[in-house]
Amino acid sequence: MRARTLSILVSCVLLLLAAVLVGPRLEGAQGQFIIWQLRVPRVLVGMLVGATLALVGAVFQALFQNPLATSDTVGTTAGATVGALFALALDSSRTVQGLPLVTVCAFVGALAGSLLVASFASSRSAHSSDVLLAGIAVTLATSALASGIQYISDSRALFAATQWSLGQLPQVGYRGVLLLAPLCALSCALLVLLTRSLQAFALGEDLAHSQGVNVPRLRLFALGLGSLGVATCVAWCGPIAFVGLVVPHLVRRVLGSSYRVLLPMSLFVGAALLVTCDAFARLIVPGRELPVGIVTAALGAPTLVFLVARGRR
Amino acid sequence: MTELEFNELSVTLKGRTLLDRVTLRIARGDFVALIGPNGAGKTTLLKAALALRAPSSGSVQLASTPVAALDARRRAALIAWLPQHIRAEEPLTGLESVAAARYRFHESHAQSKRAAERALERLGASGYANRRVTELSGGERQRVAFACLLAQEAEILLFDEPANHLDPGQQLDVYRLLGELWREGRSVLCINHDVNLLHQVGDATRVRVVGLRAGRVMFDAPFDAPDLPEHMGRLFGVEMDSVQGSEQRFIMPRTRSKP
Repeated sequence: MRARTLSILVSCVLLLLAAVLVGPRLEGAQGQFIIWQLRVPRVLVGMLVGATLALVGAVFQALFQNPLATSDTVGTTAGATVGALFALALDSSRTVQGLPLVTVCAFVGALAGSLLVASFASSRSAHSSDVLLAGIAVTLATSALASGIQYISDSRALFAATQWSLGQLPQVGYRGVLLLAPLCALSCALLVLLTRSLQAFALGEDLAHSQGVNVPRLRLFALGLGSLGVATCVAWCGPIAFVGLVVPHLVRRVLGSSYRVLLPMSLFVGAALLVTCDAFARLIVPGRELPVGIVTAALGAPTLVFLVARGRR
Repeated sequence: MTELEFNELSVTLKGRTLLDRVTLRIARGDFVALIGPNGAGKTTLLKAALALRAPSSGSVQLASTPVAALDARRRAALIAWLPQHIRAEEPLTGLESVAAARYRFHESHAQSKRAAERALERLGASGYANRRVTELSGGERQRVAFACLLAQEAEILLFDEPANHLDPGQQLDVYRLLGELWREGRSVLCINHDVNLLHQVGDATRVRVVGLRAGRVMFDAPFDAPDLPEHMGRLFGVEMDSVQGSEQRFIMPRTRSKP
């Protein structure tokens, strides 16, 4: 098991390095500029976002004891979408304190969506399945709101909204990395600290309660921290599909479910996977870039089906 | 002195009365077997003791404190539970599952694992340490959950039909282990469907049988009470036979009572 963990770690690092290097031949000062000012920060953003989405996915799956739970199912992504669409319908070029309005609105929307669900989760009598249902209800309600906004938007805003909703790693340079890093790192570091209580959750919420886990508090912590991390990612990159769903299942399949392994390894595999997908997105159509969200969805969906089919046997 | 006390406890859920003014005291060193027809409220009573069900009136006191007011870890040090159904969605190994039950202890993972190994060994379940709980049968999973309960090292132990899913040999083993744990100084409250298994516990004069029906305590009698078969007959609506075996008295249903 230790050898397997190590080899996965090494492959992750190799993939990350490769992602910086692959691409058209670059030479001279211009090449240096492209590598150091464009690709490296983009890979760093990809690592942060991929790691956060994957970890939060793993934590939410544990928390809700549901293999399909991700940040998409607890209102975070839906809230972000409404925020972003709202900003795009207003004016996509406006900025707030030097930050794009879209990013700010998406962040606020993501937190608002999660807060709605979290307020429900903090009630003592709520069961995890109820919380998940609340998340789905919030998601449905906000997507109605999003459709409403799209209906009254003009065609330019609509196009921008479509672009945004595909999810991509933006060219934000080192400044973007510096803005993303603290919130992502904070959320991930504190989530990893919940390992022990999540592990107790594996044989059921009520049993975990009887073993001394403060269930409402754990739920609030995990939801709050997870939403903070994901809100940061979604605000900058849009909703990137499937990373949060597929990575934990992938790791679980190879290394088992002990959260002491699953959580940290999801970080690494998520980072490597998203960066690799982004490299694909850069290269797959010559002369054009695809949104990375298309690539993760195109690779993620069959992977998930494959994992489920193998798991059944 | 840790006592578990139900005082005039009522629990209602969506207008249905699950428990109706139950008063019951489990003092330190007591062994109480809880019997009753399906839907009598037996599991609800255990859940109320764990603060998983809130009283609609009355109270549940643990160590003279309302159980819901206790800090979760402190409560876990006082009372542990073997539920009837154990869900296993995550392919954790048996050892990891039992180690996770040490949540209340502030200790390293290595220490948790050692305690988990000891608990599995006592259950004769060391073979499940490296198997995934999702691949275990119902009975095997039950033993892993029992090891979880042992690893928690609480003073009061709650069992919800611990012999469920088990073959006759294992049923005897489980009740003998219950007796051992009891003699080690723990208090036991155990939901039971076959009182004859209580002979395995030993010291029958000190075992109490409590009958619950429609959320009410119908009787509270020693296991060796001569009128226990009559009590049980009224509880379940059957005619009970009492048969003297080579060493012990067996109580068995003969027919349904005439209405």
